[in-house]
Amino acid sequence: MASSRLQVTARQLSKTFKKKGRFEIGIASELPPAYKKFWREWKVLKPAAVHFVPQEGKWKRDELTGETYPIQNIPIPLKFPAEINEGIWGGEAVVKGFQKRDDRRRRVPHYWVPVLKRTVVRSEVLNTHLSVTVTDRTISLINDHYGFDHYLLKTPACDLVSVLALKLKKQILTELMNGCPRHAYDPKKQMEIYEEYKTYLSSYTPEEIEWYGLTWYEALSKVAKLKEAANKPIPLKNVYRKNLVEKLKSAGIESKSSSADEISATTSWLSKMNPFGKKDEA
Amino acid sequence: MFGLRASVMKSAIIVPTMFSQQTRNTFILRRRWPPPLHKKGGKVPKMKGRHFVYDLVEDTSVKKKPDIRIVLNQFVEGVGTTGDVLTLHLNKAYENFILPGLAVYANPENLEKYKTYEKRPLEENTHSSPFVKRTMDCLHRLVLRVTMSNSEPWTLQPWHLKASFRKSGFVVPESAIEMPPVQIKGPDPNLLDKEFYVTVTINKKEKVHVRCRIYHWAAGQEQLPFEESYWKKPKQPLIPEQAEVLQKFPYQNE
Repeated sequence: MASSRLQVTARQLSKTFKKKGRFEIGIASELPPAYKKFWREWKVLKPAAVHFVPQEGKWKRDELTGETYPIQNIPIPLKFPAEINEGIWGGEAVVKGFQKRDDRRRRVPHYWVPVLKRTVVRSEVLNTHLSVTVTDRTISLINDHYGFDHYLLKTPACDLVSVLALKLKKQILTELMNGCPRHAYDPKKQMEIYEEYKTYLSSYTPEEIEWYGLTWYEALSKVAKLKEAANKPIPLKNVYRKNLVEKLKSAGIESKSSSADEISATTSWLSKMNPFGKKDEA
Repeated sequence: MFGLRASVMKSAIIVPTMFSQQTRNTFILRRRWPPPLHKKGGKVPKMKGRHFVYDLVEDTSVKKKPDIRIVLNQFVEGVGTTGDVLTLHLNKAYENFILPGLAVYANPENLEKYKTYEKRPLEENTHSSPFVKRTMDCLHRLVLRVTMSNSEPWTLQPWHLKASFRKSGFVVPESAIEMPPVQIKGPDPNLLDKEFYVTVTINKKEKVHVRCRIYHWAAGQEQLPFEESYWKKPKQPLIPEQAEVLQKFPYQNE
């Protein structure tokens, strides 16, 4: 492309120009692949159809004309209110659209909002009951998966949607990775639970579990924190002192009368003075 | 174009026009006017307002949900013992059994795990029947009124008690009734303000004490006045050996 014989036009440039993605701007470019994997699972993968029935197959034939059409399932757009992150809605969300209540009347706007109820879920691995806001669909999904932990661990992040569910999933995975310390009072039960759930650990590495369930800003601040901890500034006075000592050593001059006991042994008031100390110390 | 319109007309006819009021349920929707086809792997065309007009296909909260199967992992009073498989309504099973930890889901592993308990002989089980605790509680609460004659002399026999139990709604065979150690004879006005207990054996296993009080019955003018709420008032023990046990019986409060 960069050959000099080609006349570069704006059109060609526009074709080669690629818009920078989310992971290529600023500090986000330092996010590890483990987080990228989670992000893909959460935001890029297509969630299961909850509010519509997808058509099966690739093609369909018009009964009247015999024409063949491809089947294109365009999902119904969903609205995710902030409250979705405080509950576990089982893939349901708010649908915004119109109703055509009568053929001769104008369509009217309508919101289809899921029924929410507060109930209790039991987590085997965490050994607790939790009070959470759920829908009927969540409860039937929990029943279909034979338990809350199985439901969370088997379902990909794009179907769990809510931050609460993802945080719980992360906590469960961490707990499993550590060998269920919450059941330490009963080693037999601890072993049983670990055996039951350990299959889920095989699809994650410890690093992936560490980066699982973080929101975008949490991940960025985590990167920033790690970076800050790695590049901790060293005071220049330490650097200069080290340099000086090395220089002196290379010149063959022995450092003497610098140790603390020698200073205290001398009677001169000048050597006892510390110009950087507090007033009463001096 | 004709085909498309025909399909649109068809879909418009099938869907019933109902939406008279707002209902908040899990909805399965369908576009009334689907958007046009787009290129394979291409962008979805910009949608117009009509592509957001939805028809309700199904409301899952109205539909009856199938029952779920659970396995009890312990003895539950009035329900069953370990290893019993129950088929219950979704919410009942979840709220009353799964959440308190009385039962687990009937997946193949759990069925296998709790199967062993099912084959245990009956003697090993702590209870003869799932409902025995309830029956024992009912009998324990009962104050049995034994109606005896005020004119003819009598000696208390098991069949008297059997008849009195039947009047109170309990079918007790004579063989299950263990009489008090002392013979009770009447009619005797001293028996009126006294009580004693008999022991009833349920399923030849569980034993429960039942309080009894003698009531002298006579026809016409000689009829004694009826004592209101007699089951709430404590009485003196008829047999001194039984005093200790009789003190422990509960009295229904006002």
